[in-house]
This record gives sequence, structure tokens and C-alpha cells, in this order.
Amino acid sequence: MPFQHQELAAGRWQELSLAEQMGNIGSEISRALRWRDNDQKLFIGAFDRALELLDLTISDSRWRGRLKELTRVREAVGDAFCGGSEYRTSFEDLNRYFFNFAIAARAHR
Amino acid sequence: MFRLSHNDPRPCGSGKKYMEIKLVTDSITKAELEELARARFGDMVKAVVDINKGIMAVGGELHADEEALLLEQGSKQENLWGINFYPDNSSGEWIEFNSMINIRPSQGNRSRGVEDESVRKSIREAVEKLVKE
Repeated sequence: MPFQHQELAAGRWQELSLAEQMGNIGSEISRALRWRDNDQKLFIGAFDRALELLDLTISDSRWRGRLKELTRVREAVGDAFCGGSEYRTSFEDLNRYFFNFAIAARAHR
Repeated sequence: MFRLSHNDPRPCGSGKKYMEIKLVTDSITKAELEELARARFGDMVKAVVDINKGIMAVGGELHADEEALLLEQGSKQENLWGINFYPDNSSGEWIEFNSMINIRPSQGNRSRGVEDESVRKSIREAVEKLVKE
């Protein structure tokens, strides 16, 4: 499947700080949470974008050595999608987790 | 609609180029938004609205890039708000106030949403003027 974020995948994503990256992933998580119970198509669309961006972050060479948390987060995101059966992760939890990065990224705005 | 193509360099002199972000100063049709949605995320188009100038930038992968374009065109940050269009959404809820750029502690907006109802109203009014059926 081609990237939805083609320009970001082509290098723009690697210009963002970790907080900006995580904040943007969180935006999609918050959209997934918003649509989860009332529009399955929009829910899946937002979830797919969140995962695509998270994978771009995980493959960002600047974060080598900091991957432990990121790969764990990916597992938690997958768990939330599957109903939290493994780690009881909810989209509400993920939303709170990622939102703190968004706040950090925009702290001085 | 004023279109910035792939090859237009940013006026900031960084040498970077705009992607497919479109500056809407006059009008855009809902069909064009649908086309942008299909070309990009399938269901959604990101937009940043300048509620003072009544213009918007649409079609970027990041609200932050649309915000940058408008700032470079002379917009003031306090007038810029990030929204998403779902042009195809049959439920009637086709504007979503959800963007990282809206998190602006200096203006008392501490969420991705737009907390001030009067600002949301101004955004809707700007959109109504710019988006034609």
C-alpha cells in the first residue's frame, strides 16, 4: 500500500522533533478515538495514519538507541485496536499519552 | 483559488519547496475538496483558516506546513486555526476542529480543539464563504 503521507515519508518527517512527531501521531489517535463509535471507515482511516506515522518515527535514524519506548508504544497502539486484550490499552490512554508530546511541542506558541 | 505548485520555492529563502498546499483566497468547491481528500488521505483534507483575512490553506500533510505558508503570506498566528474537512461525510459533520497547531497556551487554548465558541463561529463563517457547493 502506498504511503498516505508521501511527502512526510520522503523526508519531511525527519525534520520534526520527537515531540512534534509524537504530537502528530496523537492527532490521528484522537481522531480515531472520536470516530471509533460512530464511523468505522473514518476510524480505520485515522488509525492507519497513526500507525504509518509511528512507523516513520520508528524508522527515523535519529531515534536509534531510543527505540525501546517507541516499539512498545506501537505494540500498545496495536493492542488498543484489537480491543486491549493483551495489555488493556484503550484509545483514551493513548490519547492522553500522545497529547503530552503535543503540549511539549507547542509549549511556547 | 491561488495554487502553489510543487516547484514554487518558499519565500522564506530556505530553498524548500511547497508540496501540494493550496491557498484559497477566493473560493473552492466541495468537489475540489473531495478530490484533494481522495488524492491525500482518502477521507480527509487538512486546512488552516485565517479568520481575520478570511482565507485558508488546504491539502497539506501537516497543519504545521499550511500554517507556515499562511504566516509567510503575512497572516498572524493568533488568527490561524487548524481544521479537517470530511467532504464525503454523510452524517453532516464535515468540519472537525482538531489540530496540533491549535494548542496555544498563550491564547488559553490548551487542546487540539478550538475552545472558544466565538472563534469556532468565525472559522465556520470563513469556511462558508470560501467553500462553494
